[in-house]
Amino acid sequence: MANTACFMIVARNDIPIYEAEVGSAAKREDAAQLHQFILHAALDVVQDLAWTTSAMFLKSVDRFNDLVVSVYILLNPLYLPGSRITSTHFDTKVRALARKYL
Amino acid sequence: MVEPVNSSLGKMLLEEISPVVMVLCTPLVEETFLKNGLSFVETLKPFCNFSNIDVPVRTSGDQLYRLKKFTLRLFNASDIRQPNVEVAKQRLEHVITQAGEKVFHDLKSDPPQITDILSNPESEIAPTWFQYYNKELIRTLSFSDHEAFDHPVACLLVVSSKDEQPVNKFVDLFNTNRLPSLLNDGVMDPKILKHYLLVHDNQDATTERTSKVLSEMRSTFGNNECNLLCTNSSKEGNVEHQANPWASFKSSVSANKLGCALTGDDIVEIKDLMQEFASRHIIPHMEQKVRDLNQQISATRKGLRNQIKTYGGEKEKTMYTFSSTESQIRILGDYAFMLHDYELALSSYRLISTDYKLDKAWKHYAGVQEMMGLAYFISDQSKKEAEYCMENAFSTYLKLGRAGFQNATRCGLWWAEMLKAGDQYKEAASAYFRICGEEPLHAAVMLEQASYCFVLTKPAMLNKYGFHLVLAGDHYKNCDQVSHAIRTYRSAISVYESTTWSHIKDHVHFHIGRWYALVGMHDVAVRNMLKVLDCGNQSKATQEIFLRDFFEIVKKTGMKHEVVGLQLPFINMSSLQVIYEDHRTYASQASVLVQESIWQSLEDDIIPSLNSGKSNWLELQSKLLPKKYKESNVCVAGESVKVDLEFRNPLLISTSITSVSLICELTSNSDDLTVNKEPSSLSVGTESSAEHNQRRREKLVRLTVTPSEEGILKIVGVRWRLSGSVVGVHYFQSTPGKAKTNKGRRKNKLTPTDALKFLVIKSLPRLEGSIHHLPEQLYAGDLRYLVLELKNKSESPIKNLKMKISHPRFVNPGNHEEDVTTEFPECLKKGHEQNFVQSETSSVFSFPKDVSLQGGKSLRWPLWFRAAIPGTISLYFTIYYEMENVSSIMKYRTLRMHYNLKVLPSLETSFEITPSPSRLQEFLVRMDIVNRANSDSFHIHQLSTVGCRWGISLLERVDTILPSKSLLPGQALSCHFMIKDNRKSGTEEEKTISNPPSQTDVKMFTQDDDEKLFDIVNSPLANFHESERSCQETSDQLSTNTVDFILISHVAKSSNPSGVADIPKILSHHSCHNRIRSSNPLSWSLDGPQTIYHDFSTSLCEIQLKLVIRNTCDGLSSVSFNTIDYLPDAAAPIPSSGNQSGWRYVPPSRETPSSMESSPPFIWSGLSSTKVQIQPLSTTEIPLQISVFSPGIYNLSSYELTWELSGHEDASSGTCQGYPYYITVLQPK
Repeated sequence: MANTACFMIVARNDIPIYEAEVGSAAKREDAAQLHQFILHAALDVVQDLAWTTSAMFLKSVDRFNDLVVSVYILLNPLYLPGSRITSTHFDTKVRALARKYL
Repeated sequence: MVEPVNSSLGKMLLEEISPVVMVLCTPLVEETFLKNGLSFVETLKPFCNFSNIDVPVRTSGDQLYRLKKFTLRLFNASDIRQPNVEVAKQRLEHVITQAGEKVFHDLKSDPPQITDILSNPESEIAPTWFQYYNKELIRTLSFSDHEAFDHPVACLLVVSSKDEQPVNKFVDLFNTNRLPSLLNDGVMDPKILKHYLLVHDNQDATTERTSKVLSEMRSTFGNNECNLLCTNSSKEGNVEHQANPWASFKSSVSANKLGCALTGDDIVEIKDLMQEFASRHIIPHMEQKVRDLNQQISATRKGLRNQIKTYGGEKEKTMYTFSSTESQIRILGDYAFMLHDYELALSSYRLISTDYKLDKAWKHYAGVQEMMGLAYFISDQSKKEAEYCMENAFSTYLKLGRAGFQNATRCGLWWAEMLKAGDQYKEAASAYFRICGEEPLHAAVMLEQASYCFVLTKPAMLNKYGFHLVLAGDHYKNCDQVSHAIRTYRSAISVYESTTWSHIKDHVHFHIGRWYALVGMHDVAVRNMLKVLDCGNQSKATQEIFLRDFFEIVKKTGMKHEVVGLQLPFINMSSLQVIYEDHRTYASQASVLVQESIWQSLEDDIIPSLNSGKSNWLELQSKLLPKKYKESNVCVAGESVKVDLEFRNPLLISTSITSVSLICELTSNSDDLTVNKEPSSLSVGTESSAEHNQRRREKLVRLTVTPSEEGILKIVGVRWRLSGSVVGVHYFQSTPGKAKTNKGRRKNKLTPTDALKFLVIKSLPRLEGSIHHLPEQLYAGDLRYLVLELKNKSESPIKNLKMKISHPRFVNPGNHEEDVTTEFPECLKKGHEQNFVQSETSSVFSFPKDVSLQGGKSLRWPLWFRAAIPGTISLYFTIYYEMENVSSIMKYRTLRMHYNLKVLPSLETSFEITPSPSRLQEFLVRMDIVNRANSDSFHIHQLSTVGCRWGISLLERVDTILPSKSLLPGQALSCHFMIKDNRKSGTEEEKTISNPPSQTDVKMFTQDDDEKLFDIVNSPLANFHESERSCQETSDQLSTNTVDFILISHVAKSSNPSGVADIPKILSHHSCHNRIRSSNPLSWSLDGPQTIYHDFSTSLCEIQLKLVIRNTCDGLSSVSFNTIDYLPDAAAPIPSSGNQSGWRYVPPSRETPSSMESSPPFIWSGLSSTKVQIQPLSTTEIPLQISVFSPGIYNLSSYELTWELSGHEDASSGTCQGYPYYITVLQPK
């Protein structure tokens, strides 16, 4: 099944620090920005929800048409706020995992 | 929370679900009212809302209640029909377009701030036209066949007194043929309340006729049902109304004209008429009807449940006429609702709901559910029930597909309003989202309404707000509602402004930019487009589109934009380097890049130190200069200040950058306040006028500014032209540089304002210097003759030149101005007389006092250069000079030169010196040479010992072992030499002749005989050797017993390409402090005759011998000498065990005895044992005697020397066996 997906890591203050367009569907030119819009908007929901639950995995917190947003809330104490994830190794890993499961 | 009745939904319901009055009037009536710019219905409309009608009502129960708020809806009979879908759509579109025209002029202003949006009162968040739009949208569903609240309750028949036969007209009006079809085909009850109204136009009708008609009417239709309305009392028709009551209903015509013929009395009359009509006729009528229906239904329903179907069967084909029981119940419910008896309404709806459901009449069912929800809401009963009903109705409508969508929309709007009233904004937003539908304009409005809900949630969901605005904007744009699209995006910008979500920001700014361009607001368009230029994260195609559109818009504006903070290209401020020259001047770019500390340490000795070691000349001048300039940099008029700046293209496509220039200000000293922004006295150099910034590339641009006057120069920023159209400006100060004031530092990584501010002083001489022909790559040992050329291009002369070189080992300045006649390297050979130069003791070379450089002259000074060691060498030269005849605050300047060299390994030599076993003062030298070069062969020319002490001679001709004469790369060679100590030694007088100087040099190849030897005692070889000596010093430098060698070679000519570009002419290899290796500190020899003739017939032969012992070490040695009177072994003793690699000195010129068969004994007849003290490096003699009894050959090796060293750090001792020494004794014939 062709699908489209976007994986993002967002740091405090809604700063995106990593993004990867994954999924098997043919890339649409505006997919990246649509995904950004949806994920950005979903942060509103996540921010509300994060304080009401102890779960770290928030499945389907938000949706837009047929695109569903699921969120893991994690904490990295070693993270330097504001820095981007630029490791190519990490990027390769993410994409490999995406190919395997999507 | 607001009371439901007062909520916006409550108001809406009061307006929308209220009794309908059908108006039938004659054309003359309309004509009368058109004088006011209004139709009849329009004239009455403002007076149909009663805020406090205060009518007592009794419906089903016995309870009496008073109706307060009440509204009537008036419709012309022709309008009582389901609206045409297309017409309705056009009307809705018109509403939006009109609203768009209104907002158009606000678009130019800056986008709203997010804080402003949040602080707005709730009612102002959404534009007001939304209410109007929603109302219009709901009206498109008027007179639907499954609802009853639009059924006319009463009919108002209006005839003008000017009409002919007015009474007949009344009858005609209510002619069934002309009634709306809905009444005729059974959907609505045609038997309705009728009211008759006679209109009297005060302007042109006669009162008599009117009163006659009225009385006629009253007699025909009954007294109560007839009314008279006198109107248009103003003859002139120029009444102006304060707060015109019609204005809000009709916006198209100028509002002032409306009702111009109606006086205040007329309005009061209309008001009274409507009030009476409502309270006296309509409400009682409805009351009565409710009571009747209630009674009738409760009677019918008893025991008849499920038996009341009028038509059975197929769903939704079911047609309920007004007279069917179901419709009757629905009418009952709606009437009760309109009379605000919500209990009765609810019970009726509940009753009918189940029936419709069983009938599968889904539309009717949904309609009833919808009304139930509203009833629950307005009566402030169960909120949960209300929402449940609304949702149920909504989803039921949706199930009907396209047919039900319109209804679903209305239901959704009401539902959303209901949720909003309950502060459930998030749910309201999702309700709006669900009624978007497929029609884009409709969707846009709904999405925008949803977005406003997100602002109102607590806490505000601004991300959602932004997203829905963008979605709405896109839909608006699809319907060509550009100004609405801009409006929504403008608001969305406030949300995204502060984020770092690049795709979002690019999208929003790019599209709004394009749309602004569409509506002709090019400047705003450009402003927005500028923000997407730094779109390095976008795909190449997107970047191309962004740039193409940007430049198109820029072109359309037709003006030159100067943009502060243009993001393309990116200016790497950390790359900013300011290069200028104050008292420190630089010969080349390479010398600029050298760390200041290197120069400073080099210049320590030659710069005149002032107050303290730390002070620089600037501090001295603090008295001369205003304090504020004290920390600014100094540059000289006429000399350029260079600014290096890196431009980076973040895009995947190339962009062209042209006309890069600096923005500078020069304030002249005389007038401190005028800032010369467009300075004529300033030449701003523009380097790289046509720069093509490659994709993803950095480009370093060097810009120069040359002040030509004294004053204060400030470098303010940089300006460039992007693709020939947009001028970008970047101000350096705007970047918050680290406030690190490193005054005196030349290079400032970041830009404190100080670093870009210069004090320009009067023009000064500036020396330019270069060293000619200095190769970049050469072999170790390469000796060259170079020329340092100094040029003084100014008018005034300079004096007091001094030079310091970082590597005196490499460079030796000549001592007089270049003599052009000397040939190199011939001049170094013997026979060329040169002045002997005493080696420089100071590391600073001072040019002779008489050397001063006149203006415009140049000076050529010889430099001897020798590549001392392999490796990468940075040579630093600094030349100090003082200005003559210039009264400036700057007394001196320095010229700094820097060269990098790569020195390749060439020949490597090692020497091993061992004492000659048989000769005192003579030593064997083994020289090992390895050619470490990669490609070149070397000729060995000459080996010399340094100083007069050592004479050198070849032991073997090298020709024999190296016929090719050249040492190939990697080849090793060993040659042997003998050196002889020429020094007078100890008490001996025999070695007094000092070697003539020629003996210190030896030629390696005999073929080279015609070539002269190089003179190593003269400059520059001697000087370089001195440097080498001090550099090659080892730990035991105290030892004087060392030999220095100089090997001179040159590169062999070969066909192979050489490893260096510039083939060296001569290479000198210096090996210093070679120690003499030996295992014991003694060397000795037996001195005596070799052949003796003796007549043994007369006596035994006594032979006098002498043992000369030399102490070769530094300590006092005590030696004991013992003879042995027997031969311990037939084999000759080996003098030392330290020999390596199987080579051994074989004493020359001694004929070995031919036979050893007879070896008659001899006896040591002199002293057989003695002990002597030998001073360091001195010689002593021990007289010896042997007695021989017969002729023969005797080996006098039967002795041993036992030595003991003392006075040396490490006392040691040892024993040495005697060397073989043959003596032949013959019987004379």
